[in-house]
Amino acid sequence: MAKEIFMPKLSSTMEVGTLLQWLKEEGEPVDIGEPLFEIMTDKINIEVEAYDRGILLKKYFQADDQVPVNQVIGYIGERGEAVPEEPPILSEGATEPSGQKTEPSAISEDAVEGKSNENGKVRATPAARRLAKEAQADLQSILGSGPKGRIHLKDVQQYLETEKEQPKASPLARKMAERENIDWKTLQGSGAGGKVMSRDVIHAVPAQASGQKQEQHEVRKKLSGLRKVVADRMVQSAFTAPHVTLTSDVDMTKAIEMRIALLPTVETQTGFRLTYTDILIKAVGTALSRFPEVNVHLEHDEIIYKKNVNVGVAVAVQDGLIVPVIKQVEQKGLAAICAEAKDLSKRAREQKLRPDELEGSTFTISNLGMYPIDAFTPIINQPEIAILGVGRTQEKPVVVNGEIAIRPIMTVSLSFDHRVIDGAPAAEFLAEVKRILENPYEMIL
Amino acid sequence: MREITYLEAVREAMSQEMRKNQDVYLLGEDIGVYGGAFGVTRGMIEEFGPERVRNTPISEAAIAGAAVGSALTGMRPILELQFSDFITIAMDQLVNQAAKLRYMYGGKGKVPMVVRTPAGSGTGAAAQHSQSLEAWMAHIPGLKVVQPSTAYDAKGLLKAAIDDDNPVIFYEHKLLYKMKSHVPEEPYSIPLGKADMKREGKDVTIVATAMMVHKALEAAKELEKEGIDVEIVDPRTLVPLDEETIVESVKKTGRVVVVHEAVKRGGYGGEIASIIAESEAFDYLDAPIKRLGGLPVPIPYNPNLEKAAVPQVPDIIKAVKETVQFK
Repeated sequence: MAKEIFMPKLSSTMEVGTLLQWLKEEGEPVDIGEPLFEIMTDKINIEVEAYDRGILLKKYFQADDQVPVNQVIGYIGERGEAVPEEPPILSEGATEPSGQKTEPSAISEDAVEGKSNENGKVRATPAARRLAKEAQADLQSILGSGPKGRIHLKDVQQYLETEKEQPKASPLARKMAERENIDWKTLQGSGAGGKVMSRDVIHAVPAQASGQKQEQHEVRKKLSGLRKVVADRMVQSAFTAPHVTLTSDVDMTKAIEMRIALLPTVETQTGFRLTYTDILIKAVGTALSRFPEVNVHLEHDEIIYKKNVNVGVAVAVQDGLIVPVIKQVEQKGLAAICAEAKDLSKRAREQKLRPDELEGSTFTISNLGMYPIDAFTPIINQPEIAILGVGRTQEKPVVVNGEIAIRPIMTVSLSFDHRVIDGAPAAEFLAEVKRILENPYEMIL
Repeated sequence: MREITYLEAVREAMSQEMRKNQDVYLLGEDIGVYGGAFGVTRGMIEEFGPERVRNTPISEAAIAGAAVGSALTGMRPILELQFSDFITIAMDQLVNQAAKLRYMYGGKGKVPMVVRTPAGSGTGAAAQHSQSLEAWMAHIPGLKVVQPSTAYDAKGLLKAAIDDDNPVIFYEHKLLYKMKSHVPEEPYSIPLGKADMKREGKDVTIVATAMMVHKALEAAKELEKEGIDVEIVDPRTLVPLDEETIVESVKKTGRVVVVHEAVKRGGYGGEIASIIAESEAFDYLDAPIKRLGGLPVPIPYNPNLEKAAVPQVPDIIKAVKETVQFK
């Protein structure tokens, strides 16, 4: 029996997933644990592995289709097994799968009669099977002349006869050629008897693509995948939350001293170098535990006070940005935070994060300090209500005790959702962050 | 070559052997002056005397028991059971004694006996005198089962059966007794377990036994007119069975119809069909294996119904056509 492939539910809040791409073609063999397709939730891109071994028989959805969780999106089974033409309809009033919805029952049953298979089996005599096997012909594509469409030896012989006259291509190659808009008949086949195989089509693709480039068209790229998620979420946040951004200069002298003092210790303990981002995470975490009114989510009309301080850190990845979360920052020391942050950001760039590692943040830090950026107005990562943008640290002349001194100054920007908190408490919170960074021993408290 | 009947061929095989070998003798009901129920032994008592052509009481159990005992003690008895239906009465002697003793004595004893017995319907002899029970015998290890379909085969197979040191059940079809064919005058032996190709063809194999060989040949003639080239394999002996010839034929034609007169249900055709399905011929089958056999009813007395109860030429033609329909 063919096994269903489902749109997985990767988190408790996930309702739909976007199919980014299939990593296998119909007709390709699939092994257990092999990446089968890539999806995107509202938080993550993830490759989904196959749970079954067999042939990918059917793909019901294409890239960029939004598919409800638990919807059957394809089938894996044995070669030649019959699967429905239309994906099974999700029960419990779940949304209809995209695409045209035809009457599946009557039509497909007739087709089954004609296609000589039933229960996923091809009806063929042993002799027909033997010849088909010897000639590597796919019984599925042979029309049976016997009762109930049974394929007889004669049918296979006729099929092979007509096949001989036509240029040959494997089913997979045909499919790929169709998708790439290549006429496979023009390709030089590398298979037995000049049969065009999938590899021939793959070789042909770059050749044709470079041909297109010479025509110098504008490059057009559909907003898709993670880019689309980021886009949607930014629009959602920017146009629903009234953003107010406060900025403040932070004297980083003591923070730098502390970092230099702790570097060897942390490196011995974790093998990683303590960064300013780690210090920022801890400083913000400490401030948040003192300002529970900032450590909240806004969901619909409710403000939810979060028990733990979970700090998300925006990480730039290929064609987008994701926010891995360091959980329970209030309970963790700098070394633990350092190790965790390095691990998360590394895996974020490799797109290997688990969905739960991207969930549950109560506040986000966006650090552009590695660029010559002084300050910016970050957009809140909803349903959080505030975000801290971090600019570069630069030595600047400042007045200290009536004298001009050179101090390392970093500008931080706090964007907050004015629906939830007002300017004064937000300013107090930012002042607290500033105070902790300027007196980093506060973090020990 | 001269032509003689099947009946004469059986008699000739026995007479020639009895002239040569003093240990061979006959026993059965009314086989003496009367010449047996079908006249097979007619004239033999005159040549060989009542010591070697022995009339017995009407007791198949006693005949079979006496034969087993004399065979064990060095004779080579040929017993005649008037109708193969009454083999049921001789069953204990055949199944529990004749078939077993050579094995149970570790080969120190042997049971060289032949049970000749007329079988089959078509003579208006009704339910108790018309059956084909060869599958019963074929099921018993230790018994050989022979079903000759021609006079030539009958003579050669009977010689082989007499020469065999094991009990052999030799089924003679009543309707075949009058049938003639070319038979050499000198003794000859046809090895048990060697099938005979009664007709060569390329489209479909018919495996037929006894009377059905002739019906199949008749059907083949009709089918030839429609361009269907039938091959007919006559196993001649059910035990041992020449599987190789059957399998090779089916590999060649890719289609097979198995025909016997015995009731299809539990009949030996099921065994043949299974052997084909299990063999390498399977990969060459291009149509389902078809079996034709008697209906699961007692053979009726009414001549029309009697015919309807067992496969006839039109039935075979129909079965073959169904099988080759998708040629």
